Amino acid sequence: MAANFWISSHFKQLLDPEEVDVVHPLDKEKGISLEDFKLIKMHMTNYICKLAQHVKVRQRVVATAVSYMRRVYTKKSMSEYDPRIVAPTCLYLASKAEESTVQARLLSFYIKKLYSDEKYRYEIKEILEMEMKILEALNYYLVIYHPYRALSQLLPDTGINDISMTQLVWGLVNDTYKTDLILMHPPHLIALACIYIATVYRDKDITAWFEELRVDMNVVKNISMEILDFYEGHRLITEERINAAFSKLALKTLNG
Amino acid sequence: MSESDPEKKVADRYLKRETLGEGTYGVVYKAIDTETGQTVAIKKIRLGKQKEGVNFTALREIKLLKELKHPNIIELIDAFPHKGNLHLVFEFMETDLEAIIRDRNIFLSQADIKSYIQMTLKGLAFCHKKWVLHRDMKPNNLLIGPDGQLKLADFGLARIFGSPDRRFTNQVFARWYRAPELLFGAKQYGAGVDVWAAGCIFAELLLRAPFMPGETDIDQLGRIFNIFGTPTRAQWPDLEYLPDYVPYDASAPKPLRERFPQASEDALDLLSKMFTYDPRARISVQQALEHRYFSSAPLPTDPAKLPRPAPKRESANPRVSDFNVREGPTVLSPKRKMRRVMPEREGFDVNAHQVDKIDKHGVEVGQAAGDVPGKNEHVPMSVDFSIFASRPMSRPTINSADRSHLKRKLDLDFQEPE
Repeated sequence: MAANFWISSHFKQLLDPEEVDVVHPLDKEKGISLEDFKLIKMHMTNYICKLAQHVKVRQRVVATAVSYMRRVYTKKSMSEYDPRIVAPTCLYLASKAEESTVQARLLSFYIKKLYSDEKYRYEIKEILEMEMKILEALNYYLVIYHPYRALSQLLPDTGINDISMTQLVWGLVNDTYKTDLILMHPPHLIALACIYIATVYRDKDITAWFEELRVDMNVVKNISMEILDFYEGHRLITEERINAAFSKLALKTLNG
Repeated sequence: MSESDPEKKVADRYLKRETLGEGTYGVVYKAIDTETGQTVAIKKIRLGKQKEGVNFTALREIKLLKELKHPNIIELIDAFPHKGNLHLVFEFMETDLEAIIRDRNIFLSQADIKSYIQMTLKGLAFCHKKWVLHRDMKPNNLLIGPDGQLKLADFGLARIFGSPDRRFTNQVFARWYRAPELLFGAKQYGAGVDVWAAGCIFAELLLRAPFMPGETDIDQLGRIFNIFGTPTRAQWPDLEYLPDYVPYDASAPKPLRERFPQASEDALDLLSKMFTYDPRARISVQQALEHRYFSSAPLPTDPAKLPRPAPKRESANPRVSDFNVREGPTVLSPKRKMRRVMPEREGFDVNAHQVDKIDKHGVEVGQAAGDVPGKNEHVPMSVDFSIFASRPMSRPTINSADRSHLKRKLDLDFQEPE
């Protein structure tokens, strides 16, 4: 699929940051700030990763699930679409769409095992109902392109072939899913940004290689900066802040 | 409310008409789109006992058709949930290629045949360009629209291909259209399987009867060998490595001309290239479209001028039997149940590749720190920069000093690409 990103629905649906960083009016009413919004999405990304480790699915399924979730919240409010049911349902849907079906029963079992908090508890029936709503929110577009394939082609081409370097870059790519980058940039540029960060971090100069590529390095640099901003911001994330964000979400509005 | 109420509105927008038939995973009925006045076909997807949500096969079809917009591929116009069932709205198609091939009242000229097979190949070429294998090519999956356009439909078995080492099930296609590599149990195959099936459809158009109607898989291979001879090592070097390979008594190929006395030289040349044994040597769909058969006289008929079955379906008060062409006495394709096989559920274990391997790094870190689930909310970063910098690993991240240093370094000057 990689060769045809430019004619895909994913490409057509790429968004600008101003379109992604919008808190839904219903959530805003409850006092959810943009920071809270990002925090909850990051927390739910981690939740999907954890759940995925237990049900044993490929990284690709995780990446697709996270992309679905992030796309849902460009259109729907967290007040109406509780992240704690949306996240596992996205994993469920992604597992089907990526041809690695996980049974809803299994998912439900691990949700209960992972979280004793009853706010996370959802029955199979509720996951299946949410599946339909998520399909609708996604407008039934299910194909998502990821940086992994571009990475496996680009990385050998750079001439870097030591394992630790490869691991570093793959890890960086995995971390980009904790942000909304996948909704905003073509996946191969995200891959390039990760390669860029890794080579600079390890003092490997492959400037010449980058210059030979026919890509706008300013865009790659901007993506790299966004990734670094994420690492910076991540230091400040505490459980308290996440809980605070979720308790705002639980507030009943005056009209509600 | 009765499901068969013909005037019932579905989800406000669609006015339900008569039932068209039973699809792979639910009832298909005709409806009018009240917003556009367009006639559509709506597939209602049964959710079964609500155990596994939206049908896997239906989801595949939705996923792929949303990406495939082409004049020769059925259009998925809309989808909506209604009363707990998912409904897929397709453009309405008058008939299918099987009905046309079978209709004794229709005369198909060489130009007509050329037009049908060209449209088939155009739709298929678009799929392959998008790395989608159809895997269920057969005449009754090729629908004909009111404008005469032929469109590929039924993507319930289709899959995205192109990843190296991907293994698929060989239980695809109706047997008569199954390529020899599939009959020999190949799990790694490519676009060639669709080409072979398209070749069978081409032959069926020429013969007005199924080309190789095998009754069992063994019989199917027998029929193939009977016509094309047993493949030699020179013809198909990898044959003996296929999982279900068994040597057959050698038989010699027969000239295709004997089977197709009416066909042109160009038609036979293209046909023989589509039936090349070695999938790697088999003609691609794109190459087939560029074959001189399509540029030589007679040129393909304009789709709008193609012969159509008598419009008995348009009668004011149609009886159900008129619609259910698949229940006619001369069913050409094997029964649906025999043809359909559940998609394999092996997905994730056989597809394991680099991503998973590398990901273990992240997984291990995650498990080490996440032993008390619920308490420690943080799944650590996949990249623990503190390890590399041998700093205390309270929280895995790049620290701000690192970051500003990196940011400065990242801001190298690049020459603008031309």
